Amino acid sequence: MVVASNLAVHRVDAELDDLLSPDAPAWDEAEESAIALVPTPLERQPSAYVQAAWQDRARGEVSEVRVRAVANTDAVTLRLEWGAERPQRRIDDVNVFSDACAVLFPEDGQEADLDTMGSPEQPVLAWFWRAGSDEPFSITAKGLGTVERTGEHPLRCRSRWASGRWRVVLAQPFAPPIQPAGTVPIAFAVWSGAVQERAGLKSYSGRFHELRFDHE
Amino acid sequence: MSDIQIHQPTHQPAHQFAMVFDLNKCLGCQTCTVACKTQWTRGSGMEAMWWNIVNTMPGRGTPRNAFELGGGYQDGKPLPGELPGKRDWGEAWDFEYENVFFKSDGQGGDYLRPREHDGATPEWGPNWDEDIGGGEYPNSFFFYLPLVCMNCSNPPCLEACPRDTIYRREEDGIILIDEERCHGYRFCIEACPYKRIYFNEQRAIAQKCISCYPRLEEGVAPACVRQCPGRMRHVGYLDDPASQVSKLVHQWQVALPLRPDFEVQPNVFYIPPSMPLAFDDEGEFDDDASRIPMEDLRRLFGGGVDRALTIIEDERSNVAAGGQSELMDILISRNWQDMLGPFTQDPGVLKRPPSGDGG
Repeated sequence: MVVASNLAVHRVDAELDDLLSPDAPAWDEAEESAIALVPTPLERQPSAYVQAAWQDRARGEVSEVRVRAVANTDAVTLRLEWGAERPQRRIDDVNVFSDACAVLFPEDGQEADLDTMGSPEQPVLAWFWRAGSDEPFSITAKGLGTVERTGEHPLRCRSRWASGRWRVVLAQPFAPPIQPAGTVPIAFAVWSGAVQERAGLKSYSGRFHELRFDHE
Repeated sequence: MSDIQIHQPTHQPAHQFAMVFDLNKCLGCQTCTVACKTQWTRGSGMEAMWWNIVNTMPGRGTPRNAFELGGGYQDGKPLPGELPGKRDWGEAWDFEYENVFFKSDGQGGDYLRPREHDGATPEWGPNWDEDIGGGEYPNSFFFYLPLVCMNCSNPPCLEACPRDTIYRREEDGIILIDEERCHGYRFCIEACPYKRIYFNEQRAIAQKCISCYPRLEEGVAPACVRQCPGRMRHVGYLDDPASQVSKLVHQWQVALPLRPDFEVQPNVFYIPPSMPLAFDDEGEFDDDASRIPMEDLRRLFGGGVDRALTIIEDERSNVAAGGQSELMDILISRNWQDMLGPFTQDPGVLKRPPSGDGG
């Protein structure tokens, strides 16, 4: 395991369906990166209510996500793993929020403001998974509170919770800004349903890391 | 966190839709509730929704302890609110129809017991405190309190949503949730001090009373208003001085906001319940005592309730003495159509009556 700034993508000769399994053997060959997570800044929340209601509440509960990346010739696949002793597996009540995670990229593959979830000039795109379904959302944003879900997308997902940990695999065929060569900035976020995290209330990587395809 | 910036719509709507509920005429029959249910909340995930509900007072409300869960503002700052679970809202109960109708011999005392989704016996539901009331016999009392979305002029739900999913209509000030934009974060439910926003678990979105705006656009009064057997609901534009709602709120000042201490400027107003006289120890009417504690009414309707009740009583005496009173004529609702403001259209004669799609 390495402390991340660069996340090396491990090349494999395997079918995407096999890679989607959170426990596929291919994952053992990939380097694991530990990404430190911090709570999102409360003063950035675009609602006075949220700022007031959460100033004394626990948030940013998950402090680390472990990431592995593999790719075959067609697609890149990411596995996020983090501790969740009290998993929230689905939304089954008015006051229940499910665990979730996301990876985020600048839309141009170069740069964007992570703290503002992009801007009109430099939008971001993200892959978002929420417990309760393995139908992930592909989203775009141009600033705080502007998240839009895209209709049809090729994003795929599989998840598993066991022994106090989530493993979530997100996969997508190569498409800009993610190309099978070079690097692309990538950021991470995890929501803990146990403390009712949702929307901008989450743990995030605080900065972009680099997903590297060119090391092998 | 002292410099929290409140985000609210800067524009004023062209008109402000408003309602006045006369609590002296509410029968507690829930016809309004069922009219709303039939019109709007038959869809998936809406089984336990009651966008309109009538609570018996004193009572803890719908959901449980509704007005004690925070939200709204205090000194202009948002107050944190709690999110009640569905056992506090009341689930859509199952009833043992099969057992009672087809398996029982009808002699065993079997009846339609309500059951929650996991088979448990309900311990809360809409207007759970229906039969509680207050006071001691013979001075016991109760009254009914209907609730819908208040279409607040200072809507905390709108402010709370980080996605600008909730908006105030420019034409009439009605507050609506854009269901396509809603991501189900539920800050709005926390922030509403009246707890009049529901969560649709199936669709993971917030939903609430829409003031029957598709009906209003056809000139038809909301279903809860038109169906009210007690004729206790007045509707119209608050900015129209000729409207009954304006006369009751502004001119006569007998229609009051609910819990003005929430600082949300609701646009549903209430004629407070005139109080029956209390009995004294001899069993005679005590002219100086009332059954409903004034402090309860002041807490619900603010300090203006004393004056409002006095005005109503004075006008009632005036009429009893043979005089004329515009206020009494309005409250008596001599002409039903006059209660409906500009929304007098009969939906039955429209080619395509406005109707909910059940979802």
